Amino acid sequence: MSARRIVILGNGVAGATCALDLRARDDRAEITVISDESDYFFSRTALMYALMDKLPRAGLEPYERRVWERQRITRVRGRVTDLDAERKQLTLADGTTRAYDALVIATGARPRALSVPGIERVRSGVTSFVSLSDLDACESLVATSERAVVVGGGLIGVELVECLVHHGVKTTFVVREPWCWPAGLGAEEGAMVADHLRKHGVDLRFERTVASVEPDASGRVSAVTLSSGERVACEMFGVCVGVEPNVAWLRACKSVPEIDGAIVVDDRLRTSIESVWAAGDCAAVRAGTALVHEPIWYTAKRHGAFVARQLSGSSERYTAPVFKNSAKFFELEYTAVGQCDPRAHKSALWTHKSLPIAARLFHDGATLWGFSALGSRWDTTMIGRWVEERRPLDWARARLREAQFDPEFSRMRVETSAEAWR
Amino acid sequence: MKRKGAAGWLAHDVTHRGVTAWALALAILGFYVVLYWGDNAQGINPFDRVAWALHIGRHGQSGAKWTLYGALYTAAVTLGGIAFLRRYGHNRYQVVRTIVVIVVQATLAFSVPLMMKMAGHPEHYFSYLWPLKMYYFEPGFIRSNPAPLVLWSFIGSLVIAPVLAVIYGKRWYCSWVCGCGGLANTAGDSFRHLSDKSEKAWRFERVSIYATLIITVVTTALVLASAFVQGAHPQLDLWSEKFRTNYGLIVSSLLSGIIGVAAYPIGGTRVWCRYFCPMAAVLGLFQRAGRFRIRVKEDQCISCGMCSEHCEMGIDVRAYAQANESFTRASCVGCGMCSEVCPRGVLTLENAHTKAPQEQLVQLRLKK
Ligand SMILES: Cc1cc2nc3c(=O)[nH]c(=O)nc-3n(C[C@H](O)[C@H](O)[C@H](O)COP(=O)(O)OP(=O)(O)OC[C@H]3O[C@@H](n4cnc5c(N)ncnc54)[C@H](O)[C@@H]3O)c2cc1C
Ligand code: SF4
Ligand code: SF4
Ligand code: SF4
Repeated sequence: MSARRIVILGNGVAGATCALDLRARDDRAEITVISDESDYFFSRTALMYALMDKLPRAGLEPYERRVWERQRITRVRGRVTDLDAERKQLTLADGTTRAYDALVIATGARPRALSVPGIERVRSGVTSFVSLSDLDACESLVATSERAVVVGGGLIGVELVECLVHHGVKTTFVVREPWCWPAGLGAEEGAMVADHLRKHGVDLRFERTVASVEPDASGRVSAVTLSSGERVACEMFGVCVGVEPNVAWLRACKSVPEIDGAIVVDDRLRTSIESVWAAGDCAAVRAGTALVHEPIWYTAKRHGAFVARQLSGSSERYTAPVFKNSAKFFELEYTAVGQCDPRAHKSALWTHKSLPIAARLFHDGATLWGFSALGSRWDTTMIGRWVEERRPLDWARARLREAQFDPEFSRMRVETSAEAWR
Repeated sequence: MKRKGAAGWLAHDVTHRGVTAWALALAILGFYVVLYWGDNAQGINPFDRVAWALHIGRHGQSGAKWTLYGALYTAAVTLGGIAFLRRYGHNRYQVVRTIVVIVVQATLAFSVPLMMKMAGHPEHYFSYLWPLKMYYFEPGFIRSNPAPLVLWSFIGSLVIAPVLAVIYGKRWYCSWVCGCGGLANTAGDSFRHLSDKSEKAWRFERVSIYATLIITVVTTALVLASAFVQGAHPQLDLWSEKFRTNYGLIVSSLLSGIIGVAAYPIGGTRVWCRYFCPMAAVLGLFQRAGRFRIRVKEDQCISCGMCSEHCEMGIDVRAYAQANESFTRASCVGCGMCSEVCPRGVLTLENAHTKAPQEQLVQLRLKK
């Protein structure tokens, strides 16, 4: 019997983890990873550090290059344009085909486009901040821009703004919401982040959107007009209004798996097409009637590892562990554990009297549902366990000091009395 | 990407092996060559003259260059340390460690020996121990120094250093006390990312560092043996002397001084510390056996690579972090910078009492 041909489409963290974990379990399988973006797996989360000159390009790659040869993982550079489930093969843009016995779709996400008047006339100066080609574009734009406008107050927007400020580009940050990233930050934390950004010289415009964009004679962006009517001159316009599952290409294929915003997968991460799995940002897991879509690094990595186990014979069902997420707003680190949705749970907030440090315990009046913190480090493993065990709120609050994770000598005093938590 | 403007170009070029980096490396190399071997027939070094002009040491006194060198070194550690504190002042581990290293350099490694010399005593560097200072076990040293000093050298080298390394890791010495580490982590901090992170470099390190240690031990043993038999075996004396001079030339001068510092802009700040320092080899072994470790927070690493990039010892910290493995590497000097730069707070340095829960999990490993 010839070796199984496993084709992994996408070399992001989901695809790369899947390939490496599969090789660790299956010595014989022929593993191929296809990507149109890069020859080697790189860390999308590190794009900002490359843009800030804190990492060389090679530093973006989490594994030494020879790992792929040593693990006998074939890398193919090219864009897949068709999936034929009957013949079990993929077609690439250059016309070549690839047959598979099992296919893993891990095509990730792509930036949402902004449609505002004038943008169709702009030929340069507009960029998002998601791919390696965005990084190239940002590098050359930063070098030639004095002023920039960034729209979109999510995490990627904040990261791009940090890079621009680092390079001394005067930046106007346009955020539709009343503070940055309300999906994760409460109003108080939002105010801390806003203060912090302003201290770094960011020109913040909350509750504004972009009304139109103007190019100059050469087609380079020259000004952005906000919903308030204000016109901001700039040479660079960063569009960070979110990402969406990269599934548009699938709709044009001969065989189309079930798609509902993202590729729908069951609790073994199988798509509706036989022998085709999906993992990472492009996949949403059906859990009962709900679809769970978590477009974050940790989930993509877990998906990749899970599919590798499925491909090597496991029949386990996918269950998401306690949710964890993390981010950074310039110097302010943020962590979340469990359910931190202000709409679903009550919360108690503690803030440091002078520093931009906040911690929030989400609860139902009696037990702990989630924990989020800004400006300090926490042992999320320990707190995750508390959440999992539904510990009493008072019990958890009293033990918070045990869960501090800041460097030695750097642990601030957390108040653990109930009165200190509003 | 490079930073903007001429200053931005320079900042990038000098820290990324550009022309200015090579020029700087050559300048440092030149400085050391003149310092070590630039004496004229009368034994006067150009830097002696510089020292006299600055009223350092008595006019006409040879060896004033060493006082000048000590002063320059201390100034570099202090000024570099202040710049470092301005950058990382929010991290108290870095603050405490840097202040200690500056104070130790300014006192134990500079002004105390200087004052001893001025008072007519043989100078003594309390902050250096065997095997970094080779001669502490030599009969010549033992005979010519007061008993408390000799006792300190023995107890410090053979008891205190290893015991502290078992409890706190080698960081107590390499990141808190030692002048070489002190310079690396202060004036040299902007070059820390240049260390080689490849597996190849790691393989080389494991050979080179223990090879130097063996040479150090053999040299010490020969010198001791030759003193012990007191001329009964002229052949032994000959060998002992040969080893001793060559060690002084190759290890102490060439590797630790010249290559160690001149390589900053090319190979990073810890070339000597990582590949050759016999003290590091000894402390590293105790560190491996001891309690120090870098703890990795489970499932929080985003594989960004900032930790590996900033590790001056060339440890691929990311490889451990993304695999959820807490670790103790012999070469880790416990500078804490991987933890400092990690944008997700994944890493922490600790003297472990208990195992973290994730260490009890069986990890799936890739075949080598
Ligand atoms: C700037 C930035 C910062 C981020 N920071 C964080 C963070 O701090 N924490 C966090 O949890 N998450 C973060 N994320 C999100 C995180 O990067 C993603 O969740 C993760 O990369 C998803 O991995 P993936 O493997 O699913 O897909 P991707 O990394 O998107 O990889 C998919 C790959 O497939 C390729 N591909 C797609 N279609 C085709 C095709 N038809 N043919 C060939 N190749 C194709 C793509 O080009 C791409 O290379 C960040 C994202 C960005 C952009
Ligand atoms: S490795 Fe050696 S030279 Fe470097 S700091 Fe440690 S003891 Fe000092
Ligand atoms: S692993 Fe971390 S603490 Fe150890 S030497 Fe490297 S950067 Fe410093
Ligand atoms: S710096 Fe932190 S998040 Fe980045 S690779 Fe290292 S441990 Fe992971």
